[in-house]
Amino acid sequence: MALIQIRNLVKKFGTHTVLDGVNFDLQKGEMKVVMGPSGCGKSTLLRCINRLVEPTSGTILVRDQDIMGPEVDVRALRQSIGFVFQQFALYRHLTVLGNVVLGLRKLRGMSRAEAEAQALFQLNHLEMADHRDKYPSQISGGQKQRVAIARALAMDPAVVVFDEPTSALDPVMVREVAELFNRLNQEGVTLLCVTHDLALASQIAKRVIFLDQGVIRADDTLENLAKHHPNAQVRAFFGDKEAQS
Amino acid sequence: MNGWSGFQRDLLEQMPLILAGLRQTLQLTVIISVTGLLFGLVVFYFSNSPYRWVRSLIQGYISFFIGTPLIVLLFLMYYGLPQWGLKLSPFLVAVIGFTMNVAAYNAAYLTTARNGLDPSEIESARAQGFGRGQIFRWITLPQVLRLSVPALTNQCIGNLKDSSVAFLIQYTEFFARIQELAATNFQFFKAYLLAAVVYLGLVSILVLMARQVEKWTRLPGLGR
Repeated sequence: MALIQIRNLVKKFGTHTVLDGVNFDLQKGEMKVVMGPSGCGKSTLLRCINRLVEPTSGTILVRDQDIMGPEVDVRALRQSIGFVFQQFALYRHLTVLGNVVLGLRKLRGMSRAEAEAQALFQLNHLEMADHRDKYPSQISGGQKQRVAIARALAMDPAVVVFDEPTSALDPVMVREVAELFNRLNQEGVTLLCVTHDLALASQIAKRVIFLDQGVIRADDTLENLAKHHPNAQVRAFFGDKEAQS
Repeated sequence: MNGWSGFQRDLLEQMPLILAGLRQTLQLTVIISVTGLLFGLVVFYFSNSPYRWVRSLIQGYISFFIGTPLIVLLFLMYYGLPQWGLKLSPFLVAVIGFTMNVAAYNAAYLTTARNGLDPSEIESARAQGFGRGQIFRWITLPQVLRLSVPALTNQCIGNLKDSSVAFLIQYTEFFARIQELAATNFQFFKAYLLAAVVYLGLVSILVLMARQVEKWTRLPGLGR
């Protein structure tokens, strides 16, 4: 059974339909990439999975549980889904260590010593332990991302979702991010990543889902999407020079 | 320097009363600064309520108390309420009146500071599984308080100066005692100059303390 199953997911903001019947599965241990142009509904899709945005209709099963069910504990659901935001969204008033510790102490009820040990383990894993006493304003974008990942992983989530992980980073960081994602995935972390960064997608996934105007238009390898997809716009998005011209 | 010796004599004679008045002034300032901050935090918390009617109520509260002269409120309670059978002591009227007024200002400062927060941090906290109260306590409040330190400490300084208004409702604080001193010997200039110098001295101490608090609470990247 898939870790996350999405069926006929629809999200409307007023009369504007952002997601128009999305279906896909995410298996445990998988790294799935959803691509699409800006405004195609990628971020909304991620926010529906942890109910930061309430879906209009359709079903989302996380570990076989319908997350729209009346008995669902939304805060427990969110704790099971690590979310790494586009701008990383670290808490500015807390140190690197404090950012990771906060959830462990206040949501998991750990003692300070326990929480710090767990946080340092994750920070060390992401090579950020040396920066534990720095504030977010004192570290680089790539380092902020690592702290945000450590913060997510510390809560031992079923899946970590990434919203445009490279858009706030220098282009030369893409390879580093891709290596990190591949390493995490090899270690058993399930990842769901939405991006419009072709360079990143090509380094972390063989197949990608293409979301356009709220609909999944394709689920294929990057090569097929660039060269053989019947729609010229899709081929252009995936870098086919002829379709672009 | 006509009348200096007479003024000095009266000043020394009335010194115990003046010092008692000064103590009353400081007591009122400390109490209304604390209660004004605490009640201001409550008002601030509800200013972000998910219910529109609560937000409107809070906005109405803030507008009413910022838009009404404090003296009117104090007179309303001290001279108006007894007509309805409720007689409060000058001290109680001063504490309640100032608290309501100061809380409105403090809530307005905190609300302004909240506009400087990064909304993605709040969304990130929700995504982590924090509830509304937890987000307020652990994310919003620590940042907003830090950002508001200059405004909040200025308010404390304002509280000290404004406490002199309380003499108009028979609260015998420092300025009331200076009034008595001036009425004894008609040396108004000297009496009020003395009052000004004492207030200036107290405000200077508060300013130094405020700077220290600003220094302690300053964090890298938090907008100050």
